[in-house]
Amino acid sequence: MATSIDMSLDNTFENPGRRAPLVLGGMNYGEVTDNVAHIWEMDRPPRTWYIVFSIAVVLLGILGACLFHLIMKGTGVWGNNNPVYWGFPIVNFVFWVGIGHAGTLISAILFLFRQNWRTSINRAAEAMTIFAVICAGLFPGVHIGRLWVFYWLFPVPTEHLAMWPNFRSPLLWDVFAVGTYATVSLLFWYMGMVPDIATFRDRTKSKVGKIVYSLLSLGWTGSARAWHRYEMAYTILAALATPLVLSVHTIVSFDFAVSQLPGWHATIFPPYFVAGAIFSGFAMVVTLMVPCRSLFKLEKLITIRHLENMNKIIMATGLMVGTAYGIEFFIAWYGGVSVEGFAFWNRAFGNYWWAYWIMVSCNVFIPQLFWIKWFRTNLVAMVIVCIFVNIGMWFERFVIVMSLSRDFLPSSWAMFRATEIDILMLIGSFGLFFTLFTLFCRYLPVIAISEVKNVIPHDHSHDHEDGSHGEAAAH
Amino acid sequence: MAHSHKPEKKKSKGPSSKLVSLVAQFDDPDSLVSACDRARREGYRKMDAYSPFPVHGIDDAIGIRRTRLPFFVLAIALCGCTFAWVLQYYVNSTDESPLFPGYKFFISGKPLGVAGIPANIPVMFELTVLSSAFAAFFGMWILNNLPRFANPLHRISRFRRATNDRFFLELNADDEKFNENRSRQQLEEWGATAIEECHLDTTDHAIPKGFKMAGVVLMFALLLPPALIYRAAGMPYPNPRLHVVPDMDWQDKFKTQTVGPNFSSDPLNPSYLFEDPQAMRRPVDNTIAREDYGMQFDEEFVNGFHGEAPSPETGGAGPNAAAAQDEVPAQPQVVEADWLKEFPSQVNVDVETIARGQQRFEIYCTPCHGYDGNGNGLVNERAVALNANGLAQWTTAKSLHDPAVKSQPVGRIFDTITHGRATMGPYKDQIPVKDRWAIVMYVRALQETGLAPPAAALPPSETAVEPK
Repeated sequence: MATSIDMSLDNTFENPGRRAPLVLGGMNYGEVTDNVAHIWEMDRPPRTWYIVFSIAVVLLGILGACLFHLIMKGTGVWGNNNPVYWGFPIVNFVFWVGIGHAGTLISAILFLFRQNWRTSINRAAEAMTIFAVICAGLFPGVHIGRLWVFYWLFPVPTEHLAMWPNFRSPLLWDVFAVGTYATVSLLFWYMGMVPDIATFRDRTKSKVGKIVYSLLSLGWTGSARAWHRYEMAYTILAALATPLVLSVHTIVSFDFAVSQLPGWHATIFPPYFVAGAIFSGFAMVVTLMVPCRSLFKLEKLITIRHLENMNKIIMATGLMVGTAYGIEFFIAWYGGVSVEGFAFWNRAFGNYWWAYWIMVSCNVFIPQLFWIKWFRTNLVAMVIVCIFVNIGMWFERFVIVMSLSRDFLPSSWAMFRATEIDILMLIGSFGLFFTLFTLFCRYLPVIAISEVKNVIPHDHSHDHEDGSHGEAAAH
Repeated sequence: MAHSHKPEKKKSKGPSSKLVSLVAQFDDPDSLVSACDRARREGYRKMDAYSPFPVHGIDDAIGIRRTRLPFFVLAIALCGCTFAWVLQYYVNSTDESPLFPGYKFFISGKPLGVAGIPANIPVMFELTVLSSAFAAFFGMWILNNLPRFANPLHRISRFRRATNDRFFLELNADDEKFNENRSRQQLEEWGATAIEECHLDTTDHAIPKGFKMAGVVLMFALLLPPALIYRAAGMPYPNPRLHVVPDMDWQDKFKTQTVGPNFSSDPLNPSYLFEDPQAMRRPVDNTIAREDYGMQFDEEFVNGFHGEAPSPETGGAGPNAAAAQDEVPAQPQVVEADWLKEFPSQVNVDVETIARGQQRFEIYCTPCHGYDGNGNGLVNERAVALNANGLAQWTTAKSLHDPAVKSQPVGRIFDTITHGRATMGPYKDQIPVKDRWAIVMYVRALQETGLAPPAAALPPSETAVEPK
């Protein structure tokens, strides 16, 4: 019966009388394991994987070369100037940190809200979080100039110098926020993965795989006592990650909002940044998941309904971001400060007007297409919209940072010009991200196998009757 | 069904092994839960269930007590929060401390100490979350006795499906109720689809002696680097330290008092950026210090004389004037200005001004004229010594207690400071007008009180002193 399942099966129906199935094709426990583990167990990954991986590695090489050049020459190779002291590095930093937020939102907040549809996408989204935070950390990391004294970022005791970081600076809060975020995300991701790595360990026929997966799975057996403590720890981590994910982008926004610059000094920044982060992060998850599910044949696990749910969140957060853009202008007008008013007029019609309108079109206008169900459920259409969202969110940070180009003193106004190194490093950071993500897809469980098994109706493991009912309801 | 697996059991039985437990397989979570429930009702206590995902209701069926993990996490979280605040208080709000020096960091007008807590909240929050996440993560593994790589269960090939699609109940052999045959029967009764024996290999696998020895040697070898570092700490070393990272110890730059940028590669024909080869630039002529702005119209106050300016011979000692034997009393004055005899009205004659004058005097004047004004400053003494060897040309610094100086009106002394005399350079660029008057006042005070030290303490080269 399972063989006759139509893969384009639609589980996006809304029927109050019946829950839409989260896993299609009436898969049983073993089939779920097979479906996920086959990615690692196949002799060779699909050719597309090799193509994506090689392109990503080339871009990573470019990033490495740029970093070498940067370290040898100094930060002057960037276009950062006076008055635009923060150019591409901060734009890329905020962009990548924002991308990461969707992963934690899916894994922690949706877990606490008992949104079971998260189980198919949370693993990949969490992996995306970690890789995005790595890309993000790179930029402020190399921006410090003298990389070899990076440890001055932390309160490291010195014997003779009373030299400490300034704990009242948002930039230091950033170090702690992003550091904590990266660490907690890594712990959360790894802990969630241990039972699935144990699955890989128990199935693999490769000798190296056996050793590596045995070490990584820490001798997990799936004992009921272990599961009990594991679930408790998972809930605690989710409860910790929930305020954490809100705090990280809040503190990132403090980098701007705590300074006394027109266009930056606004109390709306924290919520507006968090909404924007989730917006861009979900767009990235959709962009990654759509090709991933086709490439590795995960359509039964990552269903159209999952993607549609994410697209709805994208639309909701996109509306929040759009509202924030409007409110910013309202505050500038209502505040009655002429410099503030100028800063916003300048954003929309000044020297970087084109960036502003790219931002507004990509973030506010284009996501409105998701009101139409066809756009929410068509794979190609949703990926295109999501790529636009990511372009728009990069430009949002660019627009905010470029407020610096026209500050209080007209005599100090200057345009920012990105250098080749700036642009190559931005492209190279995508190389880093996709290298890590393609490796993750191939060697680690892309889907939280044990969690998906938990949301399959128990009957499914024996007969497919319930599944066929679901299909009937869908038609 | 269980009997069909006996050959496998025999195979796994090593030369000396001990039965640890019986492991029964179930095909779905519900039969596992009901089997656990029945086992518990039969009086089994030492048992565990294994499943590919957390099975609901299993905790009650086996009798698992609620874990203490949350309390552990809470305790660590409170420690993390406290630590974060103490850390920030300690390094940014205190000056001294027993271990490492703190640093009172005043910035952006934000208050220190307890009042500064709002600015400390973000880091407190982050460290609370970080420490509790570590506590939850590591606490969970520790309570679960993981990592544990040598588990006899992993030797049972059927058990591999415990992480895939099968469910297992394990009855431990050291349970009071355990009896191999009876327990096996019960498991079959409860619906087990297969039963395995779990054996612990008790063969002696002692570590060979050679490895132990090597281990001991390695342990001692590991102690060497810290021991060497401990020995090296604080030990004087004749060679300069190794600069792995230059850390701006050496920079290409032009310092004040050095020769400026030279664009010519020909050493005989240097080409400097500026007309004079110095790296340092002087202010443009007639530059007025910001705090002196507006005073330039107050001529007496700025110049120290009434009316016409003195002739160039008396005022202004450029570098070229150094060669001239410029003894003030001996020099014929072409036009002597009408020097101020009293301090101008802009200067308050009081203790505060004298104190200010003393402070400025000790910065600018003492290197040559000495703290007491006798002319026994360190620079002067060194120059006089070099002079004696013919290595320098130096006009001895004047003693301010010299009658010729004492008789000068205040305006004249002011002018000397402003424009210099003989080898003494002009100080108008360094010292603001008001401070120059304060110095004059202090010089007057020195002269009035005649603070000349006993003659014995004076260097022999000083002859101009006339003790009062």
